[in-house]
Amino acid sequence: MSRQKKSKGFPVWLIVLVVLLAGGGAFIGIHQGGGDASLRTTEELDPQVYYNNANSLRGNTYKIDVEIGSALGNSPTKGRLFSVVLKKDSKGANSAPEILPVLVPPALGGLTIQKGQHYVMKVKVIENGLLKVEEATKP
Amino acid sequence: MKNFLLIRFLCLFGCFASVLNLCAQQQDGAPSDNANTLHESGQQYKQGNPLTSAADNTIIGRNGMGASNLALQKSILNSKINTFIAFFNNPLAGTQFEQFLNAPAETSEAAAAYRNNISKIMELLAPPASKANQDAAYALLTKASEFESDANICTTIHDAVYAAANGRVEIARLTELNEQLEKQRKIAEYNNLIASRDRPLQQTSTDKNDVANNNANQQLERQARMEPTKRELASVGQTIEHNKMQIATAEGQAKFQFQALILQLFVQRRYQHVIIANRFYRALFDDGDQSLASFQQMADKLGYNKAAGQAKLVAEGNPNVAGAVGSGGGHGAGASTGSNGNGASVGNNNYDGGSDGSAFSLSGMQFGVQNVSVESLMNAVSSGMKTASRTFKSLSQLDGIANEIIRDVNEGVKSYKFLLSQNEIEAATAQLVSVWSKGQYLPSVQLLTQEEKRKSLKFAQLVNKLISSGQSGNIDTLASAVTEMKKEAVDFDDTEILSNIQAVKLGSSMHIAQARVAAAKGDLQTVQTEITRAAGIWPNNPELQTFSSDMTKVSQEADPMVHARTEFDQLYEQKSYRQIFQGIDKYAVAVGTDTSSNSAVRLNNLNLVKKRMQDIETSIMRSQEIARRGDYAGAWEGLEITFAQYPDDQKLGQLRADLTTQSPDFVHDIREAKSYEEKREYGSALAWYLRSQSRYPMSDLSKQGIERVVKLLFPDAT
Repeated sequence: MSRQKKSKGFPVWLIVLVVLLAGGGAFIGIHQGGGDASLRTTEELDPQVYYNNANSLRGNTYKIDVEIGSALGNSPTKGRLFSVVLKKDSKGANSAPEILPVLVPPALGGLTIQKGQHYVMKVKVIENGLLKVEEATKP
Repeated sequence: MKNFLLIRFLCLFGCFASVLNLCAQQQDGAPSDNANTLHESGQQYKQGNPLTSAADNTIIGRNGMGASNLALQKSILNSKINTFIAFFNNPLAGTQFEQFLNAPAETSEAAAAYRNNISKIMELLAPPASKANQDAAYALLTKASEFESDANICTTIHDAVYAAANGRVEIARLTELNEQLEKQRKIAEYNNLIASRDRPLQQTSTDKNDVANNNANQQLERQARMEPTKRELASVGQTIEHNKMQIATAEGQAKFQFQALILQLFVQRRYQHVIIANRFYRALFDDGDQSLASFQQMADKLGYNKAAGQAKLVAEGNPNVAGAVGSGGGHGAGASTGSNGNGASVGNNNYDGGSDGSAFSLSGMQFGVQNVSVESLMNAVSSGMKTASRTFKSLSQLDGIANEIIRDVNEGVKSYKFLLSQNEIEAATAQLVSVWSKGQYLPSVQLLTQEEKRKSLKFAQLVNKLISSGQSGNIDTLASAVTEMKKEAVDFDDTEILSNIQAVKLGSSMHIAQARVAAAKGDLQTVQTEITRAAGIWPNNPELQTFSSDMTKVSQEADPMVHARTEFDQLYEQKSYRQIFQGIDKYAVAVGTDTSSNSAVRLNNLNLVKKRMQDIETSIMRSQEIARRGDYAGAWEGLEITFAQYPDDQKLGQLRADLTTQSPDFVHDIREAKSYEEKREYGSALAWYLRSQSRYPMSDLSKQGIERVVKLLFPDAT
């Protein structure tokens, strides 16, 4: 008798709860952490390809995981220029660090950037081979 | 008086020896001598010369020019086989002949009177001459001597005749005295004979024992009687022999002096006076003896000092030789035939001092004396007298030759006038020279008018010009003179002279060609020698003018400073800065002493080279030091900066290449960065600079590259 009761399936209220929880989570995710979702879909930049022929990458958008190096320049109109060191180095420990110049446009002027900070950035290869930061999040 | 005689003998026999030597001369020698001279001088230079300094080059040049000049003069003058040119090449002869050509004819009353007197004297003395004619001729001698042209020769003959006549008087007196003495001697001989006889009336009987004593007494008495007569006889005999000796001596001396005078007149070409004196001689010494035996005996008695050697009387009869010699010094035959300077000077003195010497030089001969001292002069006198006495055996010979010369001169004058009428100036003038040299004082020559001599004078002046041109070595002037002569005298044969002039010009050009070859080889010594020879042969050679600038350039190259400056310019142009740096001391001195217009440019270039090489060498030293510490990237970077400034220095490039292999990644990053920077791909360039900086954080190139690219990207960046 008791065995028949256990085999009748999930209770309805449990299913409704799960649906509500899932819907709530999605709502929160959309309204509070939507960037992570776009960075996750963005392709990572291959530094060797960039070094060898940055022009061929012009217009593309890439994701880079970097540590802020030094400030190279600050233009009121074009933004701030930093050197960043790629955190993910496929060449191994013995190779030289991959250092890239990134331009933080004035639109991201609110972003606090200091040496040693860790950022995941979405960058676009613009003219002159510069990497223009479109998004930057701290992981 | 003795000295006077000595001088007179010297003049007389010196000239006489000239005549004899002239007869013995062969018509050869000059051309081959010249050829030898040319050949020897050529060999001397061809075989090379150990002299190397600039002064030695000058000596070689002068020697070469001197040899060339001599060869030229000989060649040109000898080319004309004409006694006339050779004759005029003797300055004394040329001057005297021109003097004759300018002189008017001897047509004055005094000259006519003189000629009449001479003719009269000769007529009066013509054999058979009576005593009255002889006296008349003797009286006319003093009158003839009043004319200046006679040069008091008639007075000399007059005095000689007087002295000889006095001698004859003395001889007659001595002869008469001897005749008287002979009579005295005969008387003395008779008395002596009588005195030697016994006297029987004075004899007394004696006993047998007194005979011996008596005979002895008689002998003593005879001797006593004969003693005075013997003494007288000896005295007379001695006086007679002494007188005989005096007679012989006086006659010999008178004959000798007269013969010597006749010979002297012959040598002086006073042929009419020779005939006059000869006829007086015959009148005075009418013993029929016309030989020069007295003269020969006197000559043979003269001693000869072998130790002193002989004062060599030299004479040249070859006209060609005379021409060549005259060009050498113009001092007469002493210079020509003598082998030393003393011979030359003595020869000149003899010329000036003795009219005899000058007389013979006029016939185209040269005359001089070598080895002169008192003893050697005596030897010369002795030899001359002996030679003369062997040549002319009698006065008749002299008389005949004098007459022949007078006839020959008269014919020559006629020939001259004919040639002149045919306008054959050269032949006519040569004929005139011949008759003038032989019979300058003969009436037919002295009566030639100025008009008759005018054309020859013009020709003679042209010959003088030709000779002086030849002696100057100026071929152009010589050619001009030949052309002028050809215009004046159509019969003048200029073929050979012009041919030789052309040959000389060609020779000069050949020397210049050899100089060019030598210059191409850098043989400056040969260049100088050849050019000097070319100029010596033909000073106005136009090729010399064109070569002179090259010559100057070549000679300048001999200067080590000039050479260094030229080398510096070449190396600088070739950008061989390091080679300049290796010889910087030498080039610094050369440029420092440069006074040319390029000196400022050269100095600036030198300073640029110095700075450049100092920068490079400093950079290299610094990089090597850094490399020793193991900092190859830093060492490379130091060189790279310098290399950007001086990319053409091989040493710098080599070291930079070596260091590139020591730090390849850093070098690669820098080069990539620069490459992108040049392509204006500043983003990529910046990435590469950042990468290279990450490899070598001390890199100035990286730092500068980053700053530069950032500035390009963001001109307003702060």
